[in-house]
Formats: sequence, structure tokens, C-alpha cells
Amino acid sequence: MAETENEVEVLVQRVVKDINNAFKRNPNIDEIGLIPCPEVRYNRSPIVLVENKLGVESWCVKYLLPYVHNKLLLYRQRKQWLDREALVDITCTLLLLNPDFTTAWNVRKELLQCGALSPERDLYLGKLALTKFPKSPETWIHRRWILQQVLRECSSPGPDRKEQGDGDRHDAAEKTRLSEHLHRVLHEEMKVCADAAGRYPSNYNAWSHRIWVLQNMAPGNLKVLHDELSSMRQWVSMHVSDHSGFHYRQFLLKALVRELSQSLSSSSSPQHYHPQPSSNPSHSPHKANPHHQANGEATAAAPCPSPPSPEDLASVPALPQLFHQEVELCTDLIKSFPGHETLWCHRRHVFYLWHHWRRDHHYGQGFGSESPQPNHTDAGLSSHPHTACPGGVGLDRVQRRNGQAQEGQDAMEVDGVGVPDPRDTKRLKRGPPGPCPPALPSEHSFVASVLDSCRSPEQGRFALAYRKWLDSVIGQ
Amino acid sequence: MLDKHADYIAAYGSKKDDYEYTLSEYLRMSGIYWGLTVMDLMGQLTRMNQQEISDFIKSCQHDCGGVSASIGHDPHVLYTLSAVQILSLYDNVNVLDVDKVVEYVRGLQQEDGSFAGDKWGEIDTRFSFCAVATLALLGRLDAINMDKAVEFVLSCMNFDGGFGCRPGSESHAGQIYCCTGFLSIAGQLHQVNADLLGWWLCERQLPSGGLNGRPEKLPDVCYSWWVLASLKIIGRIHWIDKSKLRSFILACQDEETGGFADRPGDMVDPFHTLFGVAGLSLLGEGQIKDVNPVLCMPEDVLERLGLHPDLLS
Repeated sequence: MAETENEVEVLVQRVVKDINNAFKRNPNIDEIGLIPCPEVRYNRSPIVLVENKLGVESWCVKYLLPYVHNKLLLYRQRKQWLDREALVDITCTLLLLNPDFTTAWNVRKELLQCGALSPERDLYLGKLALTKFPKSPETWIHRRWILQQVLRECSSPGPDRKEQGDGDRHDAAEKTRLSEHLHRVLHEEMKVCADAAGRYPSNYNAWSHRIWVLQNMAPGNLKVLHDELSSMRQWVSMHVSDHSGFHYRQFLLKALVRELSQSLSSSSSPQHYHPQPSSNPSHSPHKANPHHQANGEATAAAPCPSPPSPEDLASVPALPQLFHQEVELCTDLIKSFPGHETLWCHRRHVFYLWHHWRRDHHYGQGFGSESPQPNHTDAGLSSHPHTACPGGVGLDRVQRRNGQAQEGQDAMEVDGVGVPDPRDTKRLKRGPPGPCPPALPSEHSFVASVLDSCRSPEQGRFALAYRKWLDSVIGQ
Repeated sequence: MLDKHADYIAAYGSKKDDYEYTLSEYLRMSGIYWGLTVMDLMGQLTRMNQQEISDFIKSCQHDCGGVSASIGHDPHVLYTLSAVQILSLYDNVNVLDVDKVVEYVRGLQQEDGSFAGDKWGEIDTRFSFCAVATLALLGRLDAINMDKAVEFVLSCMNFDGGFGCRPGSESHAGQIYCCTGFLSIAGQLHQVNADLLGWWLCERQLPSGGLNGRPEKLPDVCYSWWVLASLKIIGRIHWIDKSKLRSFILACQDEETGGFADRPGDMVDPFHTLFGVAGLSLLGEGQIKDVNPVLCMPEDVLERLGLHPDLLS
């Protein structure tokens, strides 16, 4: 059945309006989807709203998409004018069908800049698009741009906000309001990321966005970092193949290491703790400088980070305990879910972090001046002579921040270890004696015990690969 | 089978009203680059319409110098690179205002050495690669601050020797390809820990012979390119089981329609067709032209341009 151009135009205009009305009728729409319905039905709207789910019947999409797509491009080429409202509606429809259409997101950026759209609206639209397209790179990219606008607004309130008289009190109240707003935005982002991560396994884009949000909206925030670490425990335990999820934990640990190490050193010299773009460790561990817009305008990456409060420091466990918990989690999962490469990769990361922290702190007497640069220098492992703690590093007798020595059970040992592999003993003997009990051998024991008891060939393969990694990368 | 693949590509997009075609218009310039490059690798570039494509590219360059994916779309460094790659195949970069392209790319570099993708400011190591690859093809690498650019890319190196999209991001084969390609062009490959990275890369090979992009992901023919090319760049391609990989790539062909899919049995597309053929070329397939692992273009094109990006041995 051939449709005339006019019929298509009429249909499309109706559909765009129907979508717009659906949002007006129900501002709580939380999911979009395509309803398989190949039969063309001109006298019925293809837009279906059930509870909080917005559906589009599939038959109309092949008319709808090319039409609104071309209409937007005609506007972009200045061949056809569209007013703001039409642009908002058309881009909304387009992006719900094809959220990787970069130019459509850019049109919305411009609408935002001239005040025709609010950041919240686009965060909402993006969130909806992600329910159907959880990986969509352009949706995540647009989201970051919006968040940067929000951050900018929050860190430098307009001059007209300052009133005469109650200057200071007003400023303080305003600061609190903005900080609470940012806090809400941050938590909403965490939810959006978690949702998208649940909809697509090992969703790189969702997790790298999550990291970006923490780096830019809560740099060096001990409480946020630790809360995230705690709240993610259950999630990763139910997604043991999700390499991105575990990498997120590695990121959090690394950030916590950085913050806690820094505060260890700064606790003795508080005057030295001030934010500097290039060397400020309380910025995200890896982001050295605030980002600049392409046109050269400096963008404050986040509200100026402040040193962790004593309450924050007290609420976060000491690093050895954090590592202990992480390794325990890893061990449990490795045993419960044999043959998952992700879990073994996670073990490598965690051990590596622990190993280097111990090495640096053993030498640095707890001062953060040698805090590991988690940059490319770390990757040059073969060039590290590894003289710090030659037998490996251990958790025993770690000095806690408050000076109490913590003896006894350490994170790297595994209960019920079988007869150690004679090769392990040889390795033990080769290393020169060090002041700290080695953890390398206990890791080797762990590998041996897994090999002894495992029935899954994959598990055996990964255990052997881990042993090889211990030998070549951590090494003697 | 190569003829079948060439037929598939030559016919692709001839039905421009196709809904699917509209959906992918936002990356059209890259799509054309994939199609033309694989045709050239198979010695069949002449079947494509050079004039039509050159006119199209010309109408995609914006005032700012950047090139968009298609007419009316916004410019971006991704499509600027694709456009320059296409025109290089045809030895006709002057279809574009080259100076303006250089200005556009230069303007995307940030103070920390990173590159934005476009004026809106998204930072990603992919864009660092696009920037230097574009300038290398135009012989204008001097336009940017290379030291700073290198510094930023190295700050994205992870403990496992791999690279992510930004500092602190997870290692990913695609990003690794971009960063090793970048370092090759920048003459800084010695900064890579080749053994460590090579190990991570060869752990991407699965029992099926195919390669994935990260631990516990499914194999995909495009990773046969990102991973393989990276291994070639860092001189560790022999760490992969070549014959098993070759079998996997060949199994991704569709013998009826021509073209390659991401994995055996799935729908084919030009993207996976290019990377399947390019992967086979890297593995030494006789009937396919040699492909350059850094730029994913025929070696003879780069020879003509006098471009020889470093490779580790």
C-alpha cells in the first residue's frame, strides 16, 4: 500500500504530537519500547502508554524515523525553519528511536544554551533512551556535557544571586542548596548507571560514565567512594562475569588508597593540603587537570575538593582491612563460581594494588609522598627491580593509623590449604629474607589449593595463568 | 569468496530509502571508509563511484574545517579522519580545504594534551588517535603539541599494560588499538610495556580461535582487528594462534550474501567485513593486499604517501 507524501506527513505529525502528549499526561514514564506490530493502522495511534511504559508500534517507525530525521537535517542546513517547540518535539522523537544520532543531541545542547530546555529534561530523555539502548555512546556523551553544565552552574552562582545585607548567610545557604542538588544529581547518575549495567552485560559505556561522574562530581570524596564500594558488593556477587563491574571496584579501591594515603601524610602537616590542579591527589586519582572546553574556556571540574573530615576518615576502614575484605570477597566468589576469568583478573588487580601500597608505605613510613602514581609508570613493571620487600608483602603487623599493631590473620591466606606445591617452597627459599611475612607464597598456596580441588578445566587454566602472572609480573 | 564480498559491498546502500540506512546515517563517512578500504584491499576499488564520493565529502566540510558524517550533520574528528582516509585512497585530499582541516584538529587539543571529539568537548583517547592519524596523512603532525598529546595518552595506561578511554578507565581492545596506533605515529612505542600488553592481548583468544575485547566477553570479528593490529604494532603477533583465528574469521563469512558478521551465523555488515578481511591480511592471506596495522589502510597507499609508522619488533 503506497502512501502519499501527504499521508505520511499527517501521520508523522500526529505521532510526534502523541508522543509529546504522552509525556505531558504522565511525567513518570520510566521506560520506552518497541511493540512488534507489523500491521499498518492509520486510524489508531501507534503510541501506547501503559502505566509508566511508553510503547511505539513497530509499523509506524519506518515512516516516522526517515521523516523526522530529514526534517531535522533540513533545519540544520537552514533550508527549513523550525521553532523551538517543534525542535524539542522532533529531537525527542528522533532520539527515542535512534539515540546515537549525534546531531540531534547537539541541537538539544543549543536549545539548552538558549534556555529553551532544562538540564533535567535531557537527563530524563537520556535515561529513557538508555532503557532501550543501554550502551548508546552518544547518549552517555550528551549526559556528560549536561552534567558539566550543571557543575558549572553549581560552582559559580550568578552575580544576581548575591543580595545586599545578609551576604554571608545567604551565601552559606546557597552553597548548601547547591551542594545538596549536586548530591542528588550524583546519586541519580549512580542509579542510571546501575540500571544500564543491569540491562547489558559488561556495559563499558555505563561503567566508564560512572567513573567519570565520581571523578568530576565527587573527586576524592571518601564517603562516596566507600559507600559505592559497599553498595556494589552485592551487585558484583550476582554478576561475576561483569568485568566492568569489577573494574569499578578496582577504581574505587585505587581512589581510596590515594585519599587515605594522602590523609596519612597530611595529618601531620595540614598546611600542605591545598588543591592544585596538577598534583592534587584529592582530585580523581587519574585526572590531573580540570577539563577545558574546546573553545579554551576553563571548566571547573567540580566544586573545590576539601580535605577529608575526621568523621569521614573515621568511618572508612583502614586500607589493610579494605584490602582484606576485597580479597575475601574475591576468594569466596572464585570458589563459589569456578571458571570465571573476571574474578581472577580482579584478584590480579587487587593484589597488585596491595603489593604496591605495601611497598611504598613500608619505605615511606606511612607518608603519602611516595603514593603510587597509577599511571604508565606502573605498567613498566619489568623495569622495577622490586627491592622493597623482596619476599613479597604481607598484611601482618600492619600499623594502623592510630598506632595499634594489627597482628594475626591476614587477607591473603586461605583456610584449609592443602599440601603446598613443592615448587612454591622452592620459590619461598629463593627470596632473601625480609622484615614482613610474604603474601606471595600465600597467593601461591591459594593457587595450589584451587588446582587441587577444582574440577573445572577453565578454573584450572585461570589458576595457572594467575600463578604465571604472580611469577612474571610481581616476581621475585 | 572475495568476489562475493566485493559484490556485497558494491551493492550496499544502493537502496538509500532503506530505514536501516537512515538509522546509520550518523556515521556514514566512516561507513564509506569501511566499504572503500575493504574494496581496495581486495583490489576492487574501481567499482566504487569516486566522483560521487568526492562531491559528497566536499559538501560535508563545515566552515570550522571539520567534516561531518553526512550532509547536514555536525562535524566531528571521527568523520574528519574517515574523510581524509577516503581521499587518501584516491590520492585526492585537496577536495578538502586541508589547512582548515588542520586548524580544526589543532583546535580540538586541550591543555592537558587530550583531544575533544568536537566543539562540545568530550574527551576520549579515540580522538587522540583520530587527530594524529588525520594529521599524519596530511603531513601536518607539527600542528599540535605532540609531547602533551603523548603525556595524556600515557596517563591512560593501566596496570595491565592496556589503555582505556580516559585516565582510570578500564582497558579495552579498541582503545588499546587507538593508543598503540597513536604512540606509533608519535614515535613513542618504546613507552609501551610490550610484553605485558602483549600478554593481555593474547589472553583475548578464546578456545573457538576468535578474539574478544575484554575478559569474558564474546569473540567478535572486529576484535580480530583491534587486537591483532595492536599485537602487530607492538611486535607480538606471533603470540596468537594464527590458524585458529583464521578459521574463526572465515567462519564469520556469509557464503550466500557475502560479507562478514561479528560472529558465525549473525547478520553481515560492512564494518565487520572490513575488519574480517583486514584481519586475514594481517595473518598473511595471499589474495588480499597488505594492510597497515596503524591506519587500517592498504600499505601501498601509505607507501605512496611516504608514511611508515613505527612498529616494534
